[in-house]
Amino acid sequence: MKGYIVRNPKLAWREVDGEMVIISPEDSQVHELNETASLIWKHADGRSLEEIAERISTEYEVSLEAARADIGELVTTLEQKQLVFVATEVKG
Amino acid sequence: MNLGTMAELDYPVKRPDTCAPLQISIGNVPLSLFIRDETLLGPAVRRYREFAQNSANGFPVHLNEPETRTKMGEFSYLLDDAKLILGSRGAKFYGVRHEYALDSLLRILLTMVLLPQRGFLLHGATVVRDGRAYIFFGRSGAGKSTVASLSPEGSVLTDEISLLRYSDGCWQAHGTPFWGEFRAAGINRLFPIAGLYLLKQASDDRAEPLSLKEALRALLPCVLFFTAEKRAHETLLRTLMGLIEEIPCHRLHFRRNAEFWRVIAA
Repeated sequence: MKGYIVRNPKLAWREVDGEMVIISPEDSQVHELNETASLIWKHADGRSLEEIAERISTEYEVSLEAARADIGELVTTLEQKQLVFVATEVKG
Repeated sequence: MNLGTMAELDYPVKRPDTCAPLQISIGNVPLSLFIRDETLLGPAVRRYREFAQNSANGFPVHLNEPETRTKMGEFSYLLDDAKLILGSRGAKFYGVRHEYALDSLLRILLTMVLLPQRGFLLHGATVVRDGRAYIFFGRSGAGKSTVASLSPEGSVLTDEISLLRYSDGCWQAHGTPFWGEFRAAGINRLFPIAGLYLLKQASDDRAEPLSLKEALRALLPCVLFFTAEKRAHETLLRTLMGLIEEIPCHRLHFRRNAEFWRVIAA
């Protein structure tokens, strides 16, 4: 699984009972993430998607392939909502 | 007087500021309103009479003085023709033509001043019962004024904008001069908060407990908030979490009659 993921730095967020509540200050829009999406969000600090897939595979006891598939869909959604950015390589 | 000497001055002589401020306190935030316009001062004195409080250290708010450029670090907000500029040493209101504009800018100012002090304004009615405050919140039309109208006279701190603030080790609701349909002067008192109730008109009366996430989700759209700053939103999230971790939050299904008090008492 290729790519590195990072949170949109403009957003304010808070973990509530293991799930993320995110606010976009510019338009006051509120986003709620489910447990898996919250896990991706928590680890979206520039690390690779493959690393996150491995973590989810271990944490939820699912195959790496299944974790990759789940992540792929969720990351696309998070990206579309501009909550995260995915880069093909790490800058700096 | 030596007029010759006066004429030689090459800068204007500034008259001493003789404008006595209208001193008020809302939510334990002392404010000194400098209002030179008599047509605005009279209505303001009447509107905030219950909140008048002598304080030498009120946060200065200057109305309709010659406009200066917004400086770095100042917060500004435009509301129709009126404008608020807030700095660390005071606020300036421009274009205030009537008391309603003053009232609106004061609400915006308070949201900013209260934020670092674990306080905020909420679209909600506050009703006091047995010495404790019950907050009924919701968007326009949710039933805030109905709840207020179904409560005993003198028990309503506000039917429109509630002020919640953490102080002296607990969450307290303060009276505000900000009213909706009741148009009352307000009650400048504070009471410990007993509960938060998201209003939902229904065919039965019951209180449904909300999880932390549901409570946060319910409160956020009802908080008066006017800044797009990330740090301010982070502070607000932290403040709201502190509130709902201590104070129970329910969705109150109610039939627009006084039966809801029976549910709350249970």
